[in-house]
This record gives sequence, C-alpha cells and structure tokens, in this order.
Amino acid sequence: MNQEPAEILNLFNRSEELVEMLRKGRAFTEELMCENERLRYRVVQLEAENIPPPDELVKEVERLRLENGQMAHKLEFLNGKFQQVEAENKDFAQRYVEVEEQNESLANLYVASHRLHSTLDSSEVIECIKEILLNMIGSEDFALYVVDDESGELLRSGYEGETAGGAVKERLTMGEGPEGFVAMAGQPFFGEEASQEPCACVPLMIKERVVGVIAIYTLLSHKKGLSLLDHKLLELLAGHAASALISSKLYSMADRKLRTIEGFMNLLRVPQGGTNV
Amino acid sequence: MSNKSLLVVDDSATMRQLLCMTLTRVEGITQANITEASDGREALDKVKSGRFDLVLTDIRMPRMDGLEFIRSVRSELNDQALPIIIITTKGAEEDVQLGMNLGASGYLSKPVSMTQLREMVTSFLG
Repeated sequence: MNQEPAEILNLFNRSEELVEMLRKGRAFTEELMCENERLRYRVVQLEAENIPPPDELVKEVERLRLENGQMAHKLEFLNGKFQQVEAENKDFAQRYVEVEEQNESLANLYVASHRLHSTLDSSEVIECIKEILLNMIGSEDFALYVVDDESGELLRSGYEGETAGGAVKERLTMGEGPEGFVAMAGQPFFGEEASQEPCACVPLMIKERVVGVIAIYTLLSHKKGLSLLDHKLLELLAGHAASALISSKLYSMADRKLRTIEGFMNLLRVPQGGTNV
Repeated sequence: MSNKSLLVVDDSATMRQLLCMTLTRVEGITQANITEASDGREALDKVKSGRFDLVLTDIRMPRMDGLEFIRSVRSELNDQALPIIIITTKGAEEDVQLGMNLGASGYLSKPVSMTQLREMVTSFLG
C-alpha cells in the first residue's frame, strides 16, 4: 500500500481499458453467436428443402421419361410415314394427270374415228380430217395429199391456210419434198421445232400401203408445239383416215359400177306388152 | 346440278360430238340436257325459244359467227346473265380481250383441254 498515487491512477486506467476491451469482446462474441444461430437455422432450412423425392414420384418421373422417349420414336416414325404418304400422294396426282391426258386423247381418237367412219362420201371424209386437224391437233396451216392410183402421184385433196393453199404444190411425185419423202418411206416425220415447215408429216397407211400424207405446216399461234401425245394421236388418226378414205373411194367406185350395171339391166329388161329392141 | 340445259354451238360436227362427250362426264349432265346448233343464227333462235343455263360457242362459223351471236344475246335479247363460254382456235390475247369485252363469260382455246372445260362448266353451273 506504499505505492504512489500516480502509479495507482495508471493501474486504474489500465484496468478500465481492459474492462472496455472485455466488453467489446463480449459484444463481438454475442454477435458471432447470433450469426452462428442464423446460419444454423439456414442450414436446417436448406436441408429441409433438399428432401429426396418419394419413390412414387421418382417412378412416375422415370415412366414419363420413358414414355417421352417412346413418343419421340413414334413421332419420328410418323414423320417418316407422313413424308412417304405425301410422296405417294404426289405420285398419284401426277399419274392422275397422265391418265386424264390419256383419257382425253382416247376421247379425241374415239370421236375422230367415229366421225371418220360415219360417212362413205370421200369429200365428207376429207372435211372430217380437216376438222380433226384444226380442232383436235391445233393445226393452222395443213394439207392432205392422196395418192392418185393412176399416176402414182400425190394429189392435194384438202388444205387450210396460206402455205398449204399457195406455196406447196398441188401435185407431188413420190420422194418429192418432205411430203413425197414421207409417202415413199412410209414413216412419219416430226420437226424438232414448231417453226419448222412442215412441222409434221404423217403417212396415211393401210398395212404397208401408203394412200396419202397429212402435212402440217404451222400450228395455231397459241400452241407451242406438238407433244408426244399429239404424235401418237396423229399416227392413230392417220390409220383411221386412211381406211376411211379408201372405204369411201371403194364405195363410190362400187356405187358407180352398180349404177352402170343397173342401167344395162334396165336396157335389157323387156317392157310389158312391148317388144325387145 | 341436275336439269341444267346446255347449248353447244359449233359448225364442226366432230367438235360438237367431242364437246358433248366431255360435258356428259360432268356430274348431272346427260345427252338429253344438251342442245346443238351449227352456227350463231341457229343458236340465237334456240336461245330465243328455250331456256339455257350455259352456252358453249365457237367463233368462226358460217351465217353468224360466235362474236355476233354473243352481241345479239347481250344487246338484242338483253340477256346479261346467260353464261357464254367461247371455245375457238383464235387464242391470241387480243382475241380473248375482244370476246370478253363483248360479254363472254369464259374463253378456251382449241385444242381444248377437257379437264379445263369440265372445271369451267362446273364453276358456271355451280
């Protein structure tokens, strides 16, 4: 207790500082404990959130995942099938158009042959051929040559248009010009371009015998060219036209002969009550 | 589309037969529904005396051509409603324009596509 008052005061000050330090340490510790409590609570919270799902749910998810996979496969399969059906559909549509075109050609051919064989008058047959060439083939300028039995030449029996009516000859020898060449060869000729003159020459044939030629010089302005179906139609028409022409020619010859014979018979017949001259 | 009356006008008997054959392939049209005329004048007489739902006509015909026939139907008979389709070898743009300006309802160029014809006829007959 012999200590100096200054020393005592110094000790007192230091103890005050220590107390203050301890107070701050206590507050800091309390703060840390509070934070610890909060974090522990948060840990519990997070653990609660991470509860593993129940088994049923896991199974359901697995089932749905599997189903999804299967559906994806089915969808892929159906897409493939759809594309296949679509392609088939396009193919059928194309075939339908082709069949319609062929139907049209057959209808044309049917009507043409029906008309050609519906008369035994050769001038009517020629008119009919002209109608067919104009209306069904779409020819604007064309000529019909018929083989003259006596001279063996080609005689222009019908025509339509300027070229056929003026520029081409009325009488052609076999082998002369494209028309004569086709008649001699017995093979049809189709020009590669519509502007070519003639753009088509088709022989009228009965078996191997050529009885005439159809020459097409120009097509109607809106018709761009002759299609393969037109070629076929022309060739088939040529066959029918040939037989119709020959039939009408034979009929008129037979008719003429019949009339001559009938005339003779009438002359030879003895009139009743009269005398034979 | 039953009981529809059609008039086919063309100087070519071949063309008339072909048109009739095509028209009878349209549902509800039979040969009995189709009347034929070989020129414009005969057609005009038939239009005056009968009732038609549709007329198909050529242009180039003797006595009265198709254009004159249309003009007569539209002005002389004052019939603006009768549908008239031109079927002709004249296929140039100015020919089409002329026909349509005179009052034609449709225009088809020969050789006519039968599918196109059937579609046009069906559209007019409803």
